[in-house]
Amino acid sequence: MPASRPEPRWRRYLRFWRADVQADVDDEVAFHIGERIDDLVAAGMDPEHAREEALTRFGDMERVKSTCSTIAQEQESQMRRSEKLSVLRQDVVYALRVMRRSAGFTIAVVFTLALGIGATTAIFSVVNAVLLRPLPYADPDRMVMVFELLNGGRGRASPGHFHDWSELSNVFEATAAFSGRTYTLADGEPMRVYGARVTPGFFKTGYMPPELGRYFAPGEEESRVVVLTYGLWRTRFAGDQAIVGKPITLNGEKYTVIGVTPAAYSLTPQDERLWTPLSFTPQQRSTYGAHTFQVFGKLKPGVSIAQAQRELDRVGEGIRRRYPDEMKGRGVSVVSFSDVLVGDYRTQLWVLLGAVSFVLLIGCSNIASLMLARATARRKEIAIRGALGGSRKRLVSQLLTESLILAVAGGTAGVLLARFGVRFLVSAAPTFVPRLAEAALDPMVLSFATAATLVCGLLFGLAPALRATRVDLQSELREGGRGSSSMARDRTRAALIITEFAVALVLLVSAGLFLRSADRLQRVPLGFDPSNVTMLRVALPADRYGDTTAVQGAFSRIVDEIRSIPGVERAGASTRLPMWGISIDMGLSVEGRPANRSSRDVGHVRLATSGFLETIGVPLRRGRLLSDADLRAEAPWVVVVNETLARNLFGNENPIGHRISGWTKAEAPEWREIVGVIGDTRSFGRDAEIPPEIYIPMTQRPNGAWDAFQRSMAIVAKTKPGMTLGASARAAVARVDRQLALYDVQPMSEVVVQANATRRFNTILLSLLGVTGLVLAAIGIYGVIAFFVTQRTHEIGVRVALGASRASVVKLVVRQAATLALAGIALGAVGALWVTRVLGSMLFQVSVRDPAAFTAAGLLLLVVAIGAAWFPARRATRVDPVRALSAVG
Amino acid sequence: MKNELLHGTLEVMILKTLTWGRMHGYGVGRWIEQLGGEALRIEEGSLYPALYRLEKKGWIDAEWGLSEKNRRAKYYRLTAAGRRALRDNASIWGEFALAVSRVLKATDAPSMP
Repeated sequence: MPASRPEPRWRRYLRFWRADVQADVDDEVAFHIGERIDDLVAAGMDPEHAREEALTRFGDMERVKSTCSTIAQEQESQMRRSEKLSVLRQDVVYALRVMRRSAGFTIAVVFTLALGIGATTAIFSVVNAVLLRPLPYADPDRMVMVFELLNGGRGRASPGHFHDWSELSNVFEATAAFSGRTYTLADGEPMRVYGARVTPGFFKTGYMPPELGRYFAPGEEESRVVVLTYGLWRTRFAGDQAIVGKPITLNGEKYTVIGVTPAAYSLTPQDERLWTPLSFTPQQRSTYGAHTFQVFGKLKPGVSIAQAQRELDRVGEGIRRRYPDEMKGRGVSVVSFSDVLVGDYRTQLWVLLGAVSFVLLIGCSNIASLMLARATARRKEIAIRGALGGSRKRLVSQLLTESLILAVAGGTAGVLLARFGVRFLVSAAPTFVPRLAEAALDPMVLSFATAATLVCGLLFGLAPALRATRVDLQSELREGGRGSSSMARDRTRAALIITEFAVALVLLVSAGLFLRSADRLQRVPLGFDPSNVTMLRVALPADRYGDTTAVQGAFSRIVDEIRSIPGVERAGASTRLPMWGISIDMGLSVEGRPANRSSRDVGHVRLATSGFLETIGVPLRRGRLLSDADLRAEAPWVVVVNETLARNLFGNENPIGHRISGWTKAEAPEWREIVGVIGDTRSFGRDAEIPPEIYIPMTQRPNGAWDAFQRSMAIVAKTKPGMTLGASARAAVARVDRQLALYDVQPMSEVVVQANATRRFNTILLSLLGVTGLVLAAIGIYGVIAFFVTQRTHEIGVRVALGASRASVVKLVVRQAATLALAGIALGAVGALWVTRVLGSMLFQVSVRDPAAFTAAGLLLLVVAIGAAWFPARRATRVDPVRALSAVG
Repeated sequence: MKNELLHGTLEVMILKTLTWGRMHGYGVGRWIEQLGGEALRIEEGSLYPALYRLEKKGWIDAEWGLSEKNRRAKYYRLTAAGRRALRDNASIWGEFALAVSRVLKATDAPSMP
């Protein structure tokens, strides 16, 4: 007996018929009964009884039959499954073989995909980190911030507002007022840290369980207790597990540490490092004029933002009735905390993700046209397989397997690239983007990358696979795979090119809009001259500089010391620089006018020394600047205002000699005479409104101003070109007080650049993506035209042989390319008009329909298309016609 | 008890029967009947589920052919896997049968440890 024979050939046909299991079982049982009857009859039984006997011996026939059918059916489906698996294995093996055979193609595809998927994944990981992941606090959906609105702009709130919002509404589970402050941490090497005073509810508005100890309890407002951040606890206190209950010295007073926040806790972008309790006196609680507090809140469960807004509007009406004048132009706004945190970044990040997906899309259509070209070259192979009985479904699945393997290879490489991309984005992102540092390739991002990979595989695989297998077998085989291009095939390819150009145009228009916007922005005059100006910040500790004369004395000595540094031409100090530092505004009244406290009469207050405005090069328009004499104790009170303020208060009238005062409810007016008008500066950045500004000699500060400015000034020095001011400035400050630390020593030009960093980053990234899209589109059209021309070498040979001039042939090919490009550009222009609407808020003085950006992008693409077509066309016409004819014919 | 025991026994016997060559179900039944006699008498129908199970396991293979009397019959034969399975199971069955008969034939009570 032979051990095992191969399956007989004829059995394969059974599969085609999908043998009927039921009938087979019936036949087999019938055969058994028949044989048994025969045997019994042969043994002498009469046929009647033989049948009965056979049935009895067989037993329960129905049960046997049903058991057998069940088993056979199970086996059948098992077989089908393993058949499918083996088909898949075949496809994979075949695909790998094909890929190895055409290594160049494989590398090109994998590289393109890796770049596209890598970049997309990197940007998505940022989107995920910043926008999609829930905040780490309890019930993040209920966290809000409450702002006082002044003429529609979000501002800080007064203690009175905070009190009324908290006590007279019933929408909050917790509220907290927050006020930033600098502390000197003694006990060992003195250290300046930024912190905040907060009302006890603060840690309930955004709750995370404390790392150690506890948070402030209600009624603890007056206690000398402090909560530390995880970071400060680790660095300053070496992660002391027994820190809770220990005393530390803050601004010369003893505080008891009661708790440490967990590492992830960072509710405000100011990055404060410790918190002490904040309390309000009854008098403060009825103060509605000083707007210095940030207000956090947590809504009660089930209360919507809109409900809270209505409720606070109602509370605001009550305040307005009591103080109609002060509340002019003021309102209230409840904003979800995550919206405050994310702010403008939401649009920006989605735009970036959109742009990078567009690049990926162009990459995919490039690959699709490569696949199509290759599928065309493989037409004969496909035709033969079709003729040998490979079903269309089978062929499509074979080709799709190939493209999915390519996609997976590209996707894997892309994820590796994305790791670097994320690191680059995190380090290169300009300003504080909340939670950006947490961007990583987490499961969410990896699922995104996987999905993107599969979608790409289908995108660039499906169309060519369907296209390539819709071959007319007969004509293909007859032609011997020579491949005369049929119209239908060209249409697929043309559609790809048109899509690529359309998408590239949208990208380029967006990049163009950003570049135009950046250009416009750069042309906005700053109103001051940052060249060769260095800034440095000095903050005086409250424990040793509690007295205002001590503060002023220290700052004027520091300015004098800086002035004495060789190479320093001018120096001065102010509590605020253009584009840098704290800005505090106050309502103004004009002497001799009825107290018409309209909302326009506001000034942003800066305390300054003499020489400050000259140093940063702000031009004088009328009168004079601040002088040394103004700083003397007995000097009359004066101010210098900018043009915007002068215009707001006095129109075209000459403001010099008028007296103004910051108004308060309780105190008598402090009249200050306007002695000079200076030019406007772009104080809040080139793209922001110019605020009305008022410069007050620092010795004539309003009450409490030094506290509000945190006893901190920026000192500016105009130096000789090329001079750096680090060490000598440090020495100068040390001569005044060797314990003082300097912060933010940097060129003023750097401050200007920083102020514009987000826009710059967006512009650079989008331009980069635009250029990438352009290059990919150029490669795409080059590849397609080159392929097309190669396919038509025969035809071109004939034309040239028949006397067509080379130039006319080139023209023909180029015209075809240009037609495709123009169609793409037209389609893209329509798309761009629709897409760029979302960019509006990110542009500066440029319409989203800016004709220049559209024209430039279109022309650039057209030129690229013509160039990409011209080279292969010219090469084709250089071929010797005889060879072209014989080679292909 | 008898049924479960029979299940396994039946399968081993079918495999053994098929070592002599390809055979239809009726033939297999007849062989077992002749060799096993009354002791292994089974309902003839119960043979078929066993055959189908073996086929599903891939131990035997089936094909349709014509019998000596020119009737369409389903013929079974042993596959390589089946041959291996028989070898393994036969030795297990041998040991099992031996052990059982040892116990049943024992004359001395086992010494308690």
